[in-house]
Amino acid sequence: MKPISSRRARAIVVALAAGSLALTACSKNDGGDSGADSKKDQKEASVQSKAVTYADAAGSTGPAAEVPGAKPGGTINVYQEAGLSHLDPGQIYVSDAGQVANLLFRRLTQFKEDDKGNVSVVGDLATDSGKASDGGKTWTFTLKDGVKDQNGNAITSADIRHTVERQYAKFIFDGPTYLQTWLSGADYRKALPNGGFDGKHLPDSVLATPDDKTVVFHFDTARPDLPQTLAMAGYAVVPAKGDTKEKYDKAPVATGPYKIVSNKVGKELVLAKNTNWDPKTDSVRHQYANGFDFQFGITESTQTKRLIADQGEDKNAIQLTGGVEATQIQDVIGNAAVSKRTVKGYQPYVMQLTFNLDRVKDLKVRQAITYAVNSKSLIAGEGGAYGGDVAPNYFAPTLPGYEATYDPYGRLKMPQGNIAKAKEILKGVPAAEKKVVFAYSNSEAGQKRKVAIEDALTKVGFNVVSKEVDSASYYEQIGKLNNPYDLYITGWGQDWPSAGTVITPIYDGTQVADGSSNYSHVKDPKVDALIKKALTQDPTAAAATWKEAQHYLLEKVLPAAPLWYTKQFQLSGSNIGGARYGSVSSLIDINRLFVKS
Amino acid sequence: MTSPVALDPELESNAEPVKAEQKLEGRSPGQLMWQRFKRDRTGVVCAVVVILYFVIALAAPLLTKISGTDPYTLYGQDPTYADKPILDQFGLPLGYFGGVSGSHWFGVEPQYGRDLFAMLVYGMRTSLFMALGVTVLLMATGVVIGLIGGYFGGRTDYWIGRVTDFFLSFPQQLFFIAFMPVVTAFFVDPREATPTYFRALAMLIVLWLLGWMGMARLVRSTVLSLREREFVEAAKVSGASPWRIVRKEILPNVVTPILVQFTYSLPSTILTIAFLSFAGVGFVEPTPDWGRLFAAAANYTEQDPAFLFFPGLALVIFVLAFNLLGDSVRDAFDPKSGR
Repeated sequence: MKPISSRRARAIVVALAAGSLALTACSKNDGGDSGADSKKDQKEASVQSKAVTYADAAGSTGPAAEVPGAKPGGTINVYQEAGLSHLDPGQIYVSDAGQVANLLFRRLTQFKEDDKGNVSVVGDLATDSGKASDGGKTWTFTLKDGVKDQNGNAITSADIRHTVERQYAKFIFDGPTYLQTWLSGADYRKALPNGGFDGKHLPDSVLATPDDKTVVFHFDTARPDLPQTLAMAGYAVVPAKGDTKEKYDKAPVATGPYKIVSNKVGKELVLAKNTNWDPKTDSVRHQYANGFDFQFGITESTQTKRLIADQGEDKNAIQLTGGVEATQIQDVIGNAAVSKRTVKGYQPYVMQLTFNLDRVKDLKVRQAITYAVNSKSLIAGEGGAYGGDVAPNYFAPTLPGYEATYDPYGRLKMPQGNIAKAKEILKGVPAAEKKVVFAYSNSEAGQKRKVAIEDALTKVGFNVVSKEVDSASYYEQIGKLNNPYDLYITGWGQDWPSAGTVITPIYDGTQVADGSSNYSHVKDPKVDALIKKALTQDPTAAAATWKEAQHYLLEKVLPAAPLWYTKQFQLSGSNIGGARYGSVSSLIDINRLFVKS
Repeated sequence: MTSPVALDPELESNAEPVKAEQKLEGRSPGQLMWQRFKRDRTGVVCAVVVILYFVIALAAPLLTKISGTDPYTLYGQDPTYADKPILDQFGLPLGYFGGVSGSHWFGVEPQYGRDLFAMLVYGMRTSLFMALGVTVLLMATGVVIGLIGGYFGGRTDYWIGRVTDFFLSFPQQLFFIAFMPVVTAFFVDPREATPTYFRALAMLIVLWLLGWMGMARLVRSTVLSLREREFVEAAKVSGASPWRIVRKEILPNVVTPILVQFTYSLPSTILTIAFLSFAGVGFVEPTPDWGRLFAAAANYTEQDPAFLFFPGLALVIFVLAFNLLGDSVRDAFDPKSGR
């Protein structure tokens, strides 16, 4: 998934009160410790990177264990800068709507996290995390009894079939495509052009529903990751009765503990308890608060200020996907009472300087750039130690198989770049190859990154040509196969805790196409073979294959220079209980929250 | 023997009343204005301040040579300067008042640690000279078009008026944001950086093309009323050519609004350029720009107010001095409207 590109529209403030400013600025800043210890943080994150286990029926049976001290009642306010783009589960792929979907929608499976941060996949609508047969090619799910949607209709296997089939329809275009392509190939829409709405269904050899409670998926190769795929918000159930197609995006039918009461797009979304949700059928979710009130259009800076002040309604408030604004991090850390109210952890994104391999063909140039880039200055532009952390390789700390000390380019020792080494590598390189075209998103943050990249590369003797790209269409522009740029900063994060959702989308040579996320256009037969091999292996064996693929990519191919890991640092009001960092969503764990008084 | 003191040039010039009587017949409006202006203390002080700003902007490279800094080095991030840390772990400047020290006179920028003094003087250079260029072009075009329309009247005036209306209807900033990427794509090779002079030229041209109308209308209305006055009639009767009438009879009388308008529009042009940089179609990092520096500092008002203080104070003083100067100039030209 792509990081949300939040375009901040800020007005130029021209009013100035010079006198008051001068008075407040006279104290000395003597540094002091920020308290951010990246070694400790990474150790904590290693819990996030443990391989996911598949739970049996016992783990999937509700109700969920009580949160200590939890009590019912109250309404939780949720602040967010930009409105949600979708509410139709089939269209949900971005983390903001994904977080809301955790309250509204149930899926066949879901992730469950214990107090130590261990993650397992449990059955949600299904009684367990799925039974594989035929070497992993066939998956069978049995539905729980007594699961109803908000209108009181029982969820049957026909609803699951409908949920899958409607993904083939044209009006679903923004959601994940894993399941559809696994079932019907890359051209899946042709297999069922009308998405099952015309009475035509997928053949039983692909998706079978022998009775009301059983769903069987048939794939042409083993799909060991299926339970994790089905836990994505994008595959949440859409009951066949009540599907309004395009209109469903504004008023979906809830199956989770909360339902939508009112939805003013881009302004406010109000949720109330869904009385048809039975806690006995759900082993993860809770229903402590009476409701949620999502308020949009509140900038990250305002959210932070209000939550620091902690007055009135803000006491019952949390941030949806926004974090503490970079400039105010010090105010939060410096105040113990405020600092207590934060949750922090790694986001799944690894930001990297991607090379366009169609243009930067010389490995020496790529190596020199990788040695030269200054991760520290880039992170400083993101807000320092709480905004990001130096990335020595392609795997984020949240990913199974993450190696904290795997550092082939010495980035951990020299986060500011190894200038001497870069210059040495560049010695024999002709001047024409030293001219590199760097594309950057033309936003405030993008221009800052540009300064850091230009500064670092110019120092070792590159002739950096910087081209601005409109920030709204940045990923679209650099996603074009024949783009005229050599370097660009890209970020990618896992869709579920498996390296397969990182290596496959961004390094698979068979996926090089316009608009694909293989931004480096890497086409390496060995990588492709390793991907093919790993995708059919069970998680433990696959982890070794993914590791081999990463080592080969980073040392021999080098399609991108790893720059930094992004971090999450969220603040909540003093009246919010049960706040915890959710390692699956990489956000505050919204299902556990309650109002203290 | 006569005292040699009497021949002292200073004394001679001090004998003003005598002189004034002698020169009674020949003083142009310009000379009158200059005399009145010299007596206005505020005006003179403001003029000195404004000139000082332009001198500082011109001499930016010399000034940064004295301070030993430049606006491009990331002092807080560069490994070369690692032995002298200037930023804390949050990226905020260490020490007093935004990191003011012997080597960084106005402190440093948060996060990257660039020298604020160097950024400010270079930024003033960019902004002031861009604004001066734009404003001079605007004034010249506005005056010429306004004069032609106002003096010739009739059909000429009608068509010039419609063209002015046409240009007025363009939303300037939206136009800029929409067309700048297109123009860049057309003229600049996609694998070459957009040169800074190209950005400057494009801004100059667009601000000029879409900004002359106010001036033209102002001049036209003034000229329209002047055209009917007796002294113009007299010149016509005595056979003066239109060119001479415009130059000698009308132009000297529209100098007042022109100068006043100039002193008002220069500071506002600085702000317009700042907005364009902010919207991503003006100058981009790392080209120092006064307006963008100010906009960036606004984000740090609470954590590092000193970062806003220096550029802000400089801007306040400049805009104030320039506007007061404008008032003084108007008073000097037209003492009847004085306070």
